[in-house]
Amino acid sequence: MAQDQDRTTGGGNKPRPANGPGGDAGQSAKDRSRAQSRPVSTKSPAGKGAKAGAGGKAGAGGKAGAGGKAGAGGKAGAGRKGGNTPRPGARPAPAAPKRRASGALVAWGAVGLVVVVIAVLVIVKLTSGSTNNANAPYTPVTPAAASVVHDVTNIPLSVYNTVGVTSPQVQVTPPIIVNNQPPMSLNGKSPATFYYGAEYCPYCAAERWSMTAALSRFGTWSGLKVTASSHTDVFPATSTFSYHGASLTSPYLAFSGVEAVSNVPTASYYTTLEKPSKEEQKILATYDTPQYIPGATAGQVGFPFININNLALISGPSYSPGSLAGLSWTDIAGGLNDPANPVTQAIVATANYMSAAICAGTKGQPGSVCSSPGVQAAAKALKLS
Amino acid sequence: MSTLRWQPVATLLLAIFGLGVSVYLTVTHFDKVALVCVSNGTINCEKVTTSPQSVIFGIPVAMLGLAFFVPMSALCLPAAWRCADRRIHLARLLLSITGVGMIVYLIIAELFIIKAICLWCTSVHLITFILFVIIVTASPIVLAPDYGPGLADGDDADDAG
Repeated sequence: MAQDQDRTTGGGNKPRPANGPGGDAGQSAKDRSRAQSRPVSTKSPAGKGAKAGAGGKAGAGGKAGAGGKAGAGGKAGAGRKGGNTPRPGARPAPAAPKRRASGALVAWGAVGLVVVVIAVLVIVKLTSGSTNNANAPYTPVTPAAASVVHDVTNIPLSVYNTVGVTSPQVQVTPPIIVNNQPPMSLNGKSPATFYYGAEYCPYCAAERWSMTAALSRFGTWSGLKVTASSHTDVFPATSTFSYHGASLTSPYLAFSGVEAVSNVPTASYYTTLEKPSKEEQKILATYDTPQYIPGATAGQVGFPFININNLALISGPSYSPGSLAGLSWTDIAGGLNDPANPVTQAIVATANYMSAAICAGTKGQPGSVCSSPGVQAAAKALKLS
Repeated sequence: MSTLRWQPVATLLLAIFGLGVSVYLTVTHFDKVALVCVSNGTINCEKVTTSPQSVIFGIPVAMLGLAFFVPMSALCLPAAWRCADRRIHLARLLLSITGVGMIVYLIIAELFIIKAICLWCTSVHLITFILFVIIVTASPIVLAPDYGPGLADGDDADDAG
């Protein structure tokens, strides 16, 4: 039957004279004219034979006289009755269906080729094993030089006040302010500030400069060490501090700094340093969420995450670590007395934002910090005053 | 063979979505604002978007994405799909082939050179690939010599398949 249909396609659907042997006898002149002028596959009134050109199904079908009623044997049945028998020497019908079928084959072949290429790439990547990162270089954690600690914890008040929140060359993103939350408590002490980061993390590296400076206005650091972010990540080897083993003694607030991961590479990641306490895990689970941090992914904690007394949240960098590229600890710390230095402006502006948020929790204490023009400018920008 | 009932709408929506992501990636490229993206080692958008491979011949890849999705959006408008001018359909097909060639290069760059995956970039790759599939498989219909506006309903497509 299929062969019959093919043969029918070969010549039986060519418009024929009304008195021909085919089944077009019943076609009107208008229909014949349409059939001759339209492309073979053009849509046509159902059952009137216009599908014939495309598929050879109903050239003589429908109400064709020769074929009788179309229902007898369906579309191809009309052809079998003889109406669509190819005539010797008849001109073949356009091969659009076959052309399209081969076109579809080529199209799906192209799609398959792309799928195969991508699959091969992924398989090669997976089977070649994860890149062994264990031998990658890293900057060891070492005690910070006294001069570096001094410079970052003793930034002149005039620098804080001159910079305020102005950092024209390095864009600074203010913290996210959340309202109507209870003050944070850590180990029974409130107000509190919580930092969660990783030594390899370049964004944490930038953030620590501001955090260290801001917190030094409210207390005294001990155990600060220096290191650098991952050498193989973005913004490689950004000079910074590590809070692992460091502590802040303050009469105004409690501080906890957790460095979850080191910068020492393993085959696939970095060595683990410390885990947040249950109290700190609850803070992360509550505030490092899409409800408070736009773009955060539920159940995933990003580095760094800073929570200042459940009032100000920082997730990600306040300024680009790229601004610190190529600078050593002494380069950065040494420039902190220059309010015109773009790096200093970014660090100090961020520190003023942090200070203003801390002051909101300490009820303005100490006054020398919280009443200073730089902190007041930040409080105003954050709508905290 | 499939008809052209859903392809115009599907491709237009995909192209607009891809355009949106490209705009975001271009803005973050020039504003130096960090991408909203998970960073856990393998997945690291910043590492990808700031890598040397993020610029080709001095042009940021994000902008090349814009240069792809702007004309693609226009070529995927229903009016463009209905158009009887084969050059429109040929342009759409060539653009989608160029796009998929580009994503193959970018996948190689991410997997073997940068060694990090950017989720935003991957979403663009996925959109480009789906566009490629739809456009390439529709091409036998729209590039046929007898294709015209009346075929958008696709009755003849049944015969072709």
